[in-house]
Formats: sequence, structure tokens, C-alpha cells
Amino acid sequence: MLKRRLLPGLVIALSRVTWPARLGAAARRRTGRSGTVELFFAFDDAASAVAVIELVARLASRDVQLLMKPVVRRGIPGDPAVDLKRRYAITDAERLGQRTGHSLSRRDPVDAADCAFLAGWVAAAPPSQALGQFCSEAMGELWFSSDGAVNPKPFAALWAQHLGGAPPAADEEAVRANERLMAKRKPYDTPAAWVHGQWFYAHERLAQIETRLDELGWTAAA
Amino acid sequence: MSTQRVDYSFSFRSPYSYLSGPRAFALPERYDIELAFHGVIPMAMRGQAVPQEKALHTLRDVAREARRLGMPFGPVYDPLGAGAERCLAVSEYAVDVGRERDFVLSASRGIWAEAIDVAKDRGLRTVCERAGLEWAACRAAVEDPAMKARVDANTAALANLGHWGVPVFAFAGELFWGQDRIEDLERALTSAGLRREQPTL
Repeated sequence: MLKRRLLPGLVIALSRVTWPARLGAAARRRTGRSGTVELFFAFDDAASAVAVIELVARLASRDVQLLMKPVVRRGIPGDPAVDLKRRYAITDAERLGQRTGHSLSRRDPVDAADCAFLAGWVAAAPPSQALGQFCSEAMGELWFSSDGAVNPKPFAALWAQHLGGAPPAADEEAVRANERLMAKRKPYDTPAAWVHGQWFYAHERLAQIETRLDELGWTAAA
Repeated sequence: MSTQRVDYSFSFRSPYSYLSGPRAFALPERYDIELAFHGVIPMAMRGQAVPQEKALHTLRDVAREARRLGMPFGPVYDPLGAGAERCLAVSEYAVDVGRERDFVLSASRGIWAEAIDVAKDRGLRTVCERAGLEWAACRAAVEDPAMKARVDANTAALANLGHWGVPVFAFAGELFWGQDRIEDLERALTSAGLRREQPTL
């Protein structure tokens, strides 16, 4: 009875309590602070590409800071379906991309090690709108404009365009810190958006993330 | 032209399957398809670990999705084990008598929105009878090894498709995983020219 009925009921009931988050959001606004969305994503993940591109665009008109948290290591330890999931993610991202007019250029998974340098660059940089723009365009280049081996050159050019100069040295420790923060927030896979106490799979809950921000008072500018 | 088939893999222990039910069973009203229901054994009873964080997130996410879809969610009664097995056996019988839609919607609502314990005769009888099924026949299905064998075959077929979770829709060699991917399936059905001019009532 406890595990089958009472605990699930408690979890569901608590998930519907929004007043503490709304109070916290109001307090942030009173002290001149914007809302935040922490986006945990992986460059080798096609679903993350959809999430990054869409959230950067959708949150631009809100008083919300999108904090880019690239990770490399994630997933359920020992998950027997991990290869199937990675392959299916490409089919799925193709369909999700079609919903917003994007066509995936890759048909095979990208090895995490081949694009870990991108996570290292982004993790090394302080948060900014320009960093979000870089991530969005880098994901576009990686998943919607190129195929085959990952070549760092076009990404370095995008970095120069949005952030100026050469990319920083990849900061692996900062990437590990993002992974630890993701574990603390509880999402176990990417892309995950942490929105003031609730997390969402970001590629498939874009509208719900916006609803959460609306509930908290960070509505889109007209 | 022969009617094309959409295979629908479903678990009574999956709240996402519950969310998919009304829209899935409505598909043949709007598309010229046969929807073939396949009840499968829950992931946690197939030796696949479900971490606590995943289980908690699922409940929270389904609560949000249910609100978006205008469906009730909670109180729940987790049917893991006998409850799921009994519903699966009855669902095979319901397929045989053409009442799988009624039974699946009744049982899944009972589990996920009314906290009905389908592991007990009283609970299972409630969801069977309101689906228009005779209790004696349902009780016999629960004990029938042939029904269990069919469920095992459904579960093996899902694994052979290269998939692990539910709900899954298979159409023309493509898989669509998730209650929130029904719109992608509908796009594929429309592209295949299967949209009906007028919905059948």
C-alpha cells in the first residue's frame, strides 16, 4: 500500500505545489534578478541539438538567463539499451527537427570523444547570451549542416564570430562540475532543463518549459 | 486497397501508455488503418532496472502531461507484478472479442486515475465489467496459459523491433516511441495518404 499507492500519490501531489517557486521567483524579480534555466546537454546528442537551438530562440524574449551546462558523461549506469537509444535518438531528432523546419544532416551517432572539445570550450566560458548563440549555431553546424568526422575549424570560426578571438583551452574539470551539478539536480540523461525546482527533458517539453516560466511570472515580451 | 496496420505496444504499468490510450485508439477514426494492440510485460518485470530518479521523474512529468491533455492522473495504484499480468491476460481476451479499446482505457484509467488494485478480483472485475466484458470469461483468461504465451510473444516482438520502452507505435517499418510522438506518427500516416476525408463516427 505504501509503495504502490501512498508514495506515488505524495509525489504527484507535491509536484503540483507551485507556490514556493512562485514566491521565490517574485523575490528574485523584486531584487532585480532574472530567472534562470540550466540546460544540461551533450554535443554528441542529437536530441540536445534540438533543445539548444529551440531554447535559445524561445527564451530570447523573456527575462531569463539560459545557463549552458555541457556534459559528456551521462545516462543510467549499466543501461542495456544505451546503443539502441543513441541510434533511435537520431531518428527522433529528425522528426523533432521537422516540426520546426530543420532537417538533420547526420544518420549515425557521433562519438562523445570526437566533440568533447566543444563541451570543454563552453564550460570554460562565463555565461552570456553570446555563449548561447554559439551553442545554438555549433549544434546547427554539427547536426544540421555536416556529416562525417567532426572538424574543429568551423566551430572555432563560430567562436570568433560570437565570442571573439580563439576558443579557450578545453576545461575538462568544468565539464565534470556540470556533470556533478546535473547529478545533484537529478536528471540522468540529456537534454535536461532545470527550471527553478523542476526538470524537463528539454527537446520534448519545450512548451511545458515555457508554461513553467509563465507560471513563475517570466512571461515572453510582446 | 488493403487497410494498413499500426502496431501499438502498451504496458499497463506505464503511465505514458495510459496517456497515449485515448489518442491511440482514436487513430482509426481519422486514418484508414487497423490499430493492432499488443500488451507487453512491464520493463521492471523484464529484468531492466528502473532507477528511483527515473520513476520519480516519470510521475512528475506525467502529472504535467496529464494536465496538458486534460486527463485525470492520480490517485494511482502501481500494478507491478500480478496486477499487470492479470490485465495483460484479460487484454488478450478483449482483443479476441473486439473490446480491447474499452478494456485498455478502463483498466489504465482505473490504475492511474482511480487507484484500483487490479491484482485483486474486486478491482479487476470493476474495470472488466465497465468495459462490457463478462467477469467469468475474464477470470478464465487470467488462468489461461495461452493468454500468457501471447503476452510473452508480444514482449518478444517488441524486443525484436529493437525497442525497449512503451508506448511504441510501428508503422511501415518505422517506430514512434512515446505518447508525445503520436503527432509524428500522424504526420507519417498523412504522408502515406491514409487520412480519412471525414472522420468515422
